[in-house]
This record gives sequence, structure tokens and C-alpha cells, in this order.
Amino acid sequence: MIFLTLVLSTFREAVAKKIFLGFFAISTLIILIFLFLINVDSVEGMVDMMGASGEEGIRNLVIGFEVGMINISYLLIITFCLISVASFIPSMLEKGNIDLLLSKPISRTNIILAKFTGGVLLVFMSLVYLIGFVWIILSSKSGFWHFPFLLTIFWLTLSFAIIYSLIILIGVISQSTILSILVSFFLVFIVCPVLYVREETIFTLVDNNIVQFIINFFYYILPKPTDINKITTEIITGEQVKTYMPVFSSVLFMLAVLSASVFYFKKKDY
Amino acid sequence: MSIITTKNLSKEYPSKSFSKEKILALNNFSFEVESGEIFGILGPNGAGKTTLIKILLGITNRTKGEITIFDKEINENSYKKKLGYLPENHKFPNYLTGEEVMKFYGKMSGMSGKDVKKRTDELLKIVDMEKWRKTKIKKYSKGMLQRLGLAQAMINDPELIFLDEPTDGVDPIGRKEIRDILEEMKERGKTIFLNSHLLSEVELICDRVAILNKGSLVKSGRVDEITLVPDNYVIHCSDLEENIMNRLLTGFKVTILGSNEFHFKTQSYEDLNKLIDFLRQNGILIRGVQREKNTLENMFINLIGSQN
Ligand SMILES: Nc1ncnc2c1ncn2[C@@H]1O[C@H](COP(=O)(O)OP(=O)(O)O)[C@@H](O)[C@H]1O
Ligand SMILES: [Mg+2]
Repeated sequence: MIFLTLVLSTFREAVAKKIFLGFFAISTLIILIFLFLINVDSVEGMVDMMGASGEEGIRNLVIGFEVGMINISYLLIITFCLISVASFIPSMLEKGNIDLLLSKPISRTNIILAKFTGGVLLVFMSLVYLIGFVWIILSSKSGFWHFPFLLTIFWLTLSFAIIYSLIILIGVISQSTILSILVSFFLVFIVCPVLYVREETIFTLVDNNIVQFIINFFYYILPKPTDINKITTEIITGEQVKTYMPVFSSVLFMLAVLSASVFYFKKKDY
Repeated sequence: MSIITTKNLSKEYPSKSFSKEKILALNNFSFEVESGEIFGILGPNGAGKTTLIKILLGITNRTKGEITIFDKEINENSYKKKLGYLPENHKFPNYLTGEEVMKFYGKMSGMSGKDVKKRTDELLKIVDMEKWRKTKIKKYSKGMLQRLGLAQAMINDPELIFLDEPTDGVDPIGRKEIRDILEEMKERGKTIFLNSHLLSEVELICDRVAILNKGSLVKSGRVDEITLVPDNYVIHCSDLEENIMNRLLTGFKVTILGSNEFHFKTQSYEDLNKLIDFLRQNGILIRGVQREKNTLENMFINLIGSQN
């Protein structure tokens, strides 16, 4: 009950921070664009043009849209939602606020978990809204009810949860929103994509074993949202998923980082 | 029956600067708070008052010592259900309205939605914040925030309430109102623990006080007992001759201020009258006897002053 109150308070906080509303505005815009496109004849023309008319052509077109949506949604979640949740922990830790919270009958572990759950649930619901509507529009128009697309909601929420755990750790230690955002953006937009293609890029330039080992080491211990996106795409297009290792190792990373946050938070004096 | 007991409570903070020396914010502090009393911790800024409250509430970890609240070692968080707390310089999320603040902290204390609503209506009336309940607190003044803070601390009808500098930033009328609210709580059998650097406040309201300086207990007891030190009389009279002065000094241990003025310290009116008899028998004309009552403030300044 107390835990739930704290979870729900994160929703209230997100709404108060206008940036989260930006996510809703853009999601709604995307949904409207889909509605509009789908009702325009040109789409039928497009299907014809691609020369793959009939059921097969529609299938491919729908799946094409869906793969595009994975990337768009991922970008939206990372920019809007991540920025919006990055201030949860620092603002909670402000003097005069944290004191009162800690005087309530809830453990420090549960405070961190409630903040985590709140952010994850928030993103989950946002994705249900965006992905859910796009799916309904695509399916009802095409008559092709492609359920695997709905799994995107789960996979993107997981990617978010993994990065959010890091944001919580940085927030608990540094109490800085800006630092949390900077580190996670650096990781998501630079480190992860580069490590993802390390074999095709860095390793062709550097064939020193030690350097390769170090880079691989970082690849394995750091979270892998880029890989998870790739897996999501493979699931949707029906390709064989080569390995779920990126998922398991990223979840391990998340658990380790969350434990570290709880450990640090418990020891700290406020 | 004691509601809070601490034994040899100590707190060391790591040093702030590069120096190795740790900050000893509390030093072997032992005390008890009786159920149903208003207990005050008094001390200058930096004495360790806030640290003490925070340790009692589990906000800050103690370095060593024992704490019992409601007859239990404070290991888990359940004892906090029956507590209220008004932090020093509290800061509620500023996007909330007064009403939402009450709701949030009430629910965080484990109350049901229905109880929260009922208590909120009552309390906002008591602290005179009813007409502001739908206003965002970022528009509140310091005094209004303090009233809301007090209402928040009482939301769960706590058995024990901790107030850290409750009258900070509140005007004199507001202070009187806060005192009345606390008196009323006491009448209903609640225990109040308050911190203050304002002696007059504490003197007016507390049953017992502990004086804290640099993390150590200087003195504790009932306010009337602590202030029960010899009263000081200033006596003005006609010029004193040498031999009378000597007899005053030896017989009555007075402090001579001038040829026709001296200090006399005593607890009994008998002694005062003996002194007057002595003066009259020796033909001294008494022009005035002035009594300087010893306040907690004087006491405090003397005690703290002698330590520094
Ligand atoms: N979080 C902290 N870290 C380090 N030192 C602290 C911390 N909080 C308080 N102190 C130090 O402990 C001492 C007591 O502070 P405090 O309990 O706030 O005193 P008071 O409330 O009586 O003014 C002060 O010297 C203060 O600088
Ligand atoms: Mg203080």
C-alpha cells in the first residue's frame, strides 16, 4: 500500500514535469499520422508499386512499418522518458524532502524499488498507448493481425528498465540529473552502438589482441540496448534469433546496478 | 513510562574538508523522554540537535549506542507508523497542492484514503490553511509552509511527534497558535519532542529540556528545576562604610558594585530579610531592592559560555 503510493507518486511527478507530456504529444501525433496515411489511397498505390501485391505484399509492408516503429519508439523513450525520469532520484534526495520520506514506515530498499517500478510502469503504459494504437490501426486496415509486434512493448520496456537502473545509481551517488542524463546518453548513443558493431569497425583497424580483449570485455559487461533492438526486429520479421546473451547479460547488469544503488542508499546519512 | 530511551548514542560524520578529523556530532548521549510530555532539546546551531532527531528516525545511521522507541529497539520501520515529523527546512514537492501534500504523506504513513481525507479536513482547519488547500505550495509563504508542515506531521494522529525548529520563520501570532496546537496534542496524551535554539519558546512550552552543546549533554531536567538557581538581588542604599562592607562581604558573600550598590544572591526570602535587618540595624538607608529573575536564557548563556 505504502509502496504503491510511492509508485503512483512518480506518475504525478512525471506529469508535473512537462517533458513527459512531450512524449504523449509526439506519440499522439504519430498515431494520427498513421490514421491519416492508412486512409489515403496512396498506400494501396505504394503496395502495388512495390510489386508485391496480394497478401504477401501487405504482410511485408506491415512488418516494414513495424520495424520502423521499433526504432522510432526507442528514440522517443530514450529522449523524452529518460530525461523525465532522470530527475526522480535527485529531486527525491533534496534536503528536507528525503528526511521526511525516510521517516515513513518504508524501507530504503523499497523506496528505490518503488521509484524503479514507477518509472518502468510509466514507460510500459506509454508504450502500450503508442505501440498498441499503431498496431490496431495497421491491423484493422490490413487485416493482418501481427501479434509479435506487441512484444515490442515488452522489449522496449526492458531496454528502458536497464538504462533506468543506471540512472538510479548515478542519481543516488551524485544527486545530479544532468550527470545521469549525460552518462546514459553517452552510453546509449555512442558506447552501445559502437560496441555493437565493434567487429566490423574497430577490430578491422586494430588487430592487437589485448585491445580487442578489453573492448570485448566492455561489450560483455555493459548493457546492450542496441542488441536488444536487433533481437526485437528479428522476432518481428520472423528471423531466427541468434542469441539471447545480450538480454541475459543486460538483465544481470540491471540487477547488479540496482543492488549497488540500494547498498549505497542504505549506508548514506541524510 | 518512557517512550524514547537512548544509551551512549554517538555519531561521527566523516570530515567535510581534507582534514582527517571526524566530526563528532553526538557524544555518548543518553536520555529518556516520558510518555505524554513535551520534551525540548536546546542548543546553539551545530550542537547536534537535528542529528539526534534524524538518528531517532532512522534518517541518519548512528555510529554507536542503543535506541528504544515504544519499548522496542529500532531495527525495522514499523515504529514509524505512529510517528510524526516536521523536518527543519522541509521541502515538499512544489508541484503539489496543500491537499495533495497531506494525502501523499498520510498514505505514506500507511493510512487509508478515507482516514486521510477526514484528517486533512480537520487539520487544515486547525492550522488555518483551509482556503489554500487547492493552491500549489510553490505559491506559499514560509509561514504557510510551516503550518502545512505541522499539519502534515499530525496527519496520522501520531503518538510521538518530532518537530525540528517548528517556529522557524513563523510570526509571533503564528508561534502562539503553534504552541496552542502542541498544548492541545499534549492534553490528548501525545508526546512531543522538539528542537529549538530559541530559549523563550522552549521555556514557554516544554515540561523537560536537555541542553546540548557540541554533541554532549550539558544539563537536563524540568524547566522550573533548571532555572531554579539563586535569584540575584541588586540593592541600592546609602553610602557603606569600610567595616560594614567587610561584614557584608564575609557574612553575606555579596558582590560590591559601588559604594552604595551591591549584588546579593540567595534562594530564600529569609536570608534576604536577614540582610535587610542587618543593614537597618547599622543605620543604612535602603533605597531599593531589585530582583533579577534567572531565566533559562541566562542559564543557557552561562552554561554554554563556560564550555567554550
Ligand atoms: N550530513 C552531514 N555530514 C557531515 N557533517 C554533518 C552532517 N550533518 C550535520 N553535520 C555536522 O554535525 C554537527 C551537528 O549538526 P546539526 O545536528 O545539524 O546541529 P543543530 O541541528 O543543533 O544545528 C555540525 O557540526 C554539522 O556541521
Ligand atoms: Mg538543526
